[in-house]
Amino acid sequence: MNQQNKKKASFLTSEFYLAMFLVIVLLILAVFARGFYNLNNIMSLLNTYSYTLIAAIGMNIIILTSNIDVSTGSLISVVCMVMAAIGKTGAPFGVLLIVAMVVGAALSTANGLLVAKLKIPAIVATLATTQIFQGGLQMAVEGSIYDLPASYTWLAFDAKLFGVVPASVLICLIVTVFGLLFMKYSKFSKKVYAIGNNMNSARLTGINVDKTIILTYAIAGVFFGISATIIGTAGQRVTTTMGSGLEMTFIAAVVLGGTSSAGGSGKVIGTVIGAFILSVIKPAINYLGISADWADAIQGAIIIVSVLMSAAKNIRKKRVIPASTVGGEA
Amino acid sequence: MGDVVLELKGIVKSFPGVLALDGIDFELKSGEVHAICGENGAGKSTLMKVVCGVHKPDKGIMKVNGKEEHFSNPLEAYGKGVAIIFQETSLFEEMSVLDNLFLGHEMTKKVGPVRVIDYAAMSKRANEIFERLNVHMNLSTPIKKLGMAQKQMVEIAKALTFDANIIIFDEPTASLTEREVKALFKIINNLKEEGFGIVYISHRMEEIFEICDRVTVVRDGKYISTNNVSEIDKDSLVADMVGRKMGNYYPKADTKIGDVFFQVKGIYDEGFLDDISFDLRKGEILGFAGLAGAGRTELMECICGFSKKAAGKIYMDGKEIHIRNYQDAMKQGIVYVSEDRGKYGLIVDMSIEQNITLPQLQNFTGSMSLIDKKKEDAIGQQYIDEIDIKAPGPDFLVTNLSGGNQQKVSVSKALALKPKVLILDEPTRGVDVNAKAEIHKIISDLTQQGLTIIMISSELPELIGMCDRIYVMKDGYIGGCFDRSDVTQEKILTVALESKKQMSVS
Repeated sequence: MNQQNKKKASFLTSEFYLAMFLVIVLLILAVFARGFYNLNNIMSLLNTYSYTLIAAIGMNIIILTSNIDVSTGSLISVVCMVMAAIGKTGAPFGVLLIVAMVVGAALSTANGLLVAKLKIPAIVATLATTQIFQGGLQMAVEGSIYDLPASYTWLAFDAKLFGVVPASVLICLIVTVFGLLFMKYSKFSKKVYAIGNNMNSARLTGINVDKTIILTYAIAGVFFGISATIIGTAGQRVTTTMGSGLEMTFIAAVVLGGTSSAGGSGKVIGTVIGAFILSVIKPAINYLGISADWADAIQGAIIIVSVLMSAAKNIRKKRVIPASTVGGEA
Repeated sequence: MGDVVLELKGIVKSFPGVLALDGIDFELKSGEVHAICGENGAGKSTLMKVVCGVHKPDKGIMKVNGKEEHFSNPLEAYGKGVAIIFQETSLFEEMSVLDNLFLGHEMTKKVGPVRVIDYAAMSKRANEIFERLNVHMNLSTPIKKLGMAQKQMVEIAKALTFDANIIIFDEPTASLTEREVKALFKIINNLKEEGFGIVYISHRMEEIFEICDRVTVVRDGKYISTNNVSEIDKDSLVADMVGRKMGNYYPKADTKIGDVFFQVKGIYDEGFLDDISFDLRKGEILGFAGLAGAGRTELMECICGFSKKAAGKIYMDGKEIHIRNYQDAMKQGIVYVSEDRGKYGLIVDMSIEQNITLPQLQNFTGSMSLIDKKKEDAIGQQYIDEIDIKAPGPDFLVTNLSGGNQQKVSVSKALALKPKVLILDEPTRGVDVNAKAEIHKIISDLTQQGLTIIMISSELPELIGMCDRIYVMKDGYIGGCFDRSDVTQEKILTVALESKKQMSVS
């Protein structure tokens, strides 16, 4: 009956096209970018990919509720600094990870409270907290914390799988699998999608919208915290601007992955591919011999093209006043 | 009919400044379809929102299946057996049919220590329900891809996932085609046979007489009467609703009809419109009938320049006119009043006068091209008086007006542009009986003053009562044209349902 249609449709998703794009980019790099596929570069790319994807999955949940968080970069800076202060005493990675998750969740929950309880539009609320986080850091710390012990940089330098693969990849894998399952099989995820679709209907359906939004920010905060453990422990010195600007990459990964910026639709798998494409850009440009200054502009162009392409699919069907509002298949 | 499943006693609900419900009694038995009838603003939807927990009543008792209940939201009401299908569906557009059916009460299973959603069990249950409704549905389709009728089926199915035994339909046929209405009625009848208690809220008299067993009338928030449908007639029901006998439903006055001054020839738009030509005579009301999706709105969009036409010409006073966008149309004196006033017709958060002047602000400026508030006030007041908009003043926000009065603002906005051809798309959709009569009177008066009107409507009695000629569209072409003197509902429906396109000879 409809099974055949269903199969065809589920195969040619926008995620599929995105993945094809990624494969083509990787093939082009194999031909034109000499040395792109050397071990060091791949490992460093995977490390970037790991922290980008982990944070982007958190960002994805927030955007699905049709909210946003532009404070993520500063939030990560704060988490890094707290980790550094504790790491200075020689605390092991496990402790740092837990601290990062708790601090990340706490700061992000503050964002959620501003958005859900005080009804401040998410972009305004998180723009304000960006400055509060950044300003707070500058008051608390002078420039940077340095000379951190080997226990602090354990993840970056000592923790390798099979001697080569950075352990951050393992963390990323665990988090991603959790994210995929959580967004498919949890009741909570259905509430998130419902709110993003239509907040009023969600409320009428008996969903506690405020609570769900606050929890969404809290959960995303945990993801940001985990991401910060990879970013912050990469060297012996932690500055107050470790995360600055990263939120744009995370948001870009989510949007590139097909999540509607209006909320309500988008899958984690899209974010997985989107984050990879964005992580490839910088090293790719480098190996293609193009100036690194181009990286941000190219990143922006890719986002615009991908959004246009997904919009183009619907253009043919849409009229100025959509006839579908009348309904019926008469 | 069986036991009483829903009983309301003395329900009172007030909003700031308004007593919306003033001691309403209502009783629903299992195996009956019970209509609630009343003008817009009479309180029927408010009453149902109280029942399902959207609003909290100030006073009154509600008994569901014999037990006193108070719900704090619809989900809770669903759980206790009361399902409501809202006027605008409350489904989530981007989510799949399956997700929508079980939202908030997903079936789960234990995997190790955690509870996860059990898609297999949910699919099985959903398929059983759709089979019972005799509806074919792909569970993974997102709601946005469904038509209005299918969405309603999903809503009904959702009610059944809860084992509800009381289903409330709020204006379920508002956006359905005749055929879809038939299918819906069949399902409602089946549910009734199975012993469901069904509350049916509707504006449409014909429907009440077709499928309801009893009818309760409310007016101005008060309980008026409950009758067996078999024992009353339309006139007495309308009399109960409006509080007085209605004289003439459609007060179309005789007008002098002039010569053809506006012609449309061979309009074509791939997939929507197929070679459409028609003439319009000065001072007439020209009706367009057809099922939803027949292309009536699309045709008007083409004429007004909202969408591009692939081919076709438009002539006014014998000369061809070129309309590339709506501004061109307005300049030629063609003005369109949308069927969806909330979405395309009005900016509801602006005042009456601001809405009226919006399309032609250049005519309401004073020194330095700033808006002249006095001119705005004047025109706002003018239309409040002329069209009889019930509002305290021209500064009143449109959002606070009733549906009928919003529609009058919409019409005023069009009239202020001094049109030669006024296109009204479903001018009385979602307005109450009284406002409907008023709008009909306004339309009739306008033609007396020499205005020419094109009217699209899905209500055949309205078209037949108001129009001088009626074109019937089907699948994007014109299937037939009837004169006022020899048109009947049956004739129109026959064309709208069955006509086949004939090859044009010319």
